[in-house]
Amino acid sequence: MNEEAKKKNKELIEKSKQVVREAFEKFNPIKCAITWTGGKDSTTNLWIIRQVCIEENINLPQVITIDEGDAFPEITDFLVTISKKWNIDLKWLCNFDMLKSCQSHLGNDIQVKDLDERNQAELKRIEFEFKSFPFEAESYAGNHLMKTVVLNKFIEESNTELLFMALRRDEQAARKEDEYFTNHEAGHLMPEHTRVSPILHFTERDIWDNTHLHNLPYCPLYKIGYRSLGARSSSNPGEVGVPAWEQDLENILERAGRRQDKEKAMERLRKLGYM
Amino acid sequence: MKNIILLTIDALRKDVLGCYGNKNKLTPFLDSLQPKSIKFTNTQSTGPYTQASFPGILTSSYYLEYGRQKKCSPKRTFISEVLKKYRITTAAFHSNPYLCGYFGWNRGWDVFYDSMQDEVSDKIPYIKGDGINYKVDKWLSSYTKNDNYHPFFLWTHYMDVHEPYIPAKEYLNKVDPLINLSENEMLNLFKEIILKRDVSNKKTVKLLKKLYDAGVLEIDDYVKNFFKILEKYGVLKDSVVIITTDHGDEFGEHDSLSHDGKMYSELINAPLLIYRYNRTQGEVCDNLVSNIDIPPTILYLFGLEPFEKFRGHSMLPLKNYPQNGVFGEAIGKTSNHEKETDKPIYFYQENDLKIIYREDNKSWEMYDLNRDSQELNNLIDTSAKSEDMKKKLMPQLNRWQQNKK
Repeated sequence: MNEEAKKKNKELIEKSKQVVREAFEKFNPIKCAITWTGGKDSTTNLWIIRQVCIEENINLPQVITIDEGDAFPEITDFLVTISKKWNIDLKWLCNFDMLKSCQSHLGNDIQVKDLDERNQAELKRIEFEFKSFPFEAESYAGNHLMKTVVLNKFIEESNTELLFMALRRDEQAARKEDEYFTNHEAGHLMPEHTRVSPILHFTERDIWDNTHLHNLPYCPLYKIGYRSLGARSSSNPGEVGVPAWEQDLENILERAGRRQDKEKAMERLRKLGYM
Repeated sequence: MKNIILLTIDALRKDVLGCYGNKNKLTPFLDSLQPKSIKFTNTQSTGPYTQASFPGILTSSYYLEYGRQKKCSPKRTFISEVLKKYRITTAAFHSNPYLCGYFGWNRGWDVFYDSMQDEVSDKIPYIKGDGINYKVDKWLSSYTKNDNYHPFFLWTHYMDVHEPYIPAKEYLNKVDPLINLSENEMLNLFKEIILKRDVSNKKTVKLLKKLYDAGVLEIDDYVKNFFKILEKYGVLKDSVVIITTDHGDEFGEHDSLSHDGKMYSELINAPLLIYRYNRTQGEVCDNLVSNIDIPPTILYLFGLEPFEKFRGHSMLPLKNYPQNGVFGEAIGKTSNHEKETDKPIYFYQENDLKIIYREDNKSWEMYDLNRDSQELNNLIDTSAKSEDMKKKLMPQLNRWQQNKK
């Protein structure tokens, strides 16, 4: 890495640290929490927050991770190993009621009537009207119950006022105008809180440059071609066998391997007479 | 005008619409919109199939502008992304797999339904128009609950005209009561005739066209229901509706079927209506326009500044439209399967003259569309204008070559 790139990296980190310091000026660290998925962005984010805490002599806020019931074992291992190494008391959040009603089996149908009151109320809130849905973390109902509800519940019970997130502006065109701090007003079943993304200005390239420059740990899945890690059943590698940082980050969408099902698209095209 | 609605119908030939001269009464509802519409008589698509045409319709860019890619290049900017910056709500409902999230077409939408999570059959491998309408109805019902809702841009796309041609019985009876084919027989025609691009039997090609026409009749009903939904939520009176297609379909006009990489009128000449509820009189516009002009027109209709990256020009106001000529490009595939070795094909049209260049056999064609609407008489070696037209198409070819390097 040349001197100019190192200088740029330093500036990026300094900007993030400023945002973290501002967060601790506005909010009591006890009322803060840090989200960590084990992915490259939230690991970088945690690494920066941790530095500020050490420099300012602040106790690291609660670090949380959400188990969607469909995590890569590599991600789980990574979270366990690094939290030990970095001495982090990681809190695992999970919607146990939902896992129970489908025997933790991916694809099993969940009957809405079998869910507890809160989960049912949550489904009503998102106007979900069917009697059952398959257990998939990234289906409409599944995503809401396994991620959003779990997070809301944590915020409510722990009286969290500020959540550290790891969004990046370049991730989606829609995020171009995003601010570091966003206030989430209280809604029905949703507690009021503020979210802050200290690494908002990092690009995917910056994340990898930083990871390599400072020898940050990363999940081995990135090395075999994954660029973006979500639930296991809905994440696909970008270029198989090519480490994420060696791929065409500038021209191919980071989340292209995620959520949408390539096979399904191909199957539809075949039926329409293409391929 | 508060909202803009873009309604696109996949593979809809311009010449099946009554308002464009068809006598078979296949589109009574679409025709009834004419008195409140500007009807464009001379709209060319940027390409002869979905992947080549939709970059024009939704991103005002050309298909090969960013090289030959399977997925929508992130360098393109969607009209939805631009509108979102102005806090206009954007919603999309469609069932074309080429335009699904996996291929990168989900950018900039607040609501994006591509039907990929839903089950479809072999005979009808997409969500039908009534299913798409149902989604639109649900969305509008919740979105318009608040009287002060933000202006929105809604894009709806139907697939029902597209092959396999398996129209519902009631529509087929209206087109030709003597056709008595089972769904399996129609699916078989798709597999044995359309997929093989077999035009050897003229009778069979005629039969396929009738099945297609029945699909058009069916689509007309979905459009009618779509407008009913817009009226039900009080949206129609506050909206402009742009109706067009991405490309046409071929029935042996140039020795093939379906829509491959060719630049003839049955594939790239598109219907285009711009409908406004409180317009008192229909208007006909003969300007030579392109579907690449749709995103700039949407910005104009919302009263927004032009967006510099868009290559097209607003079609409105009609008198300000620059009379430049229109381009298009695609991969010149000749079967249902695009091969890596297939080479690009380009066209440029100015007034009634259209020039086409195929890179695979380095062939040039030029047609006078006014005298030779079927494009059968190649003028390239005889016309005095050939060299001038070649010169105008050349920069387009070179641009692609440069990006490839």
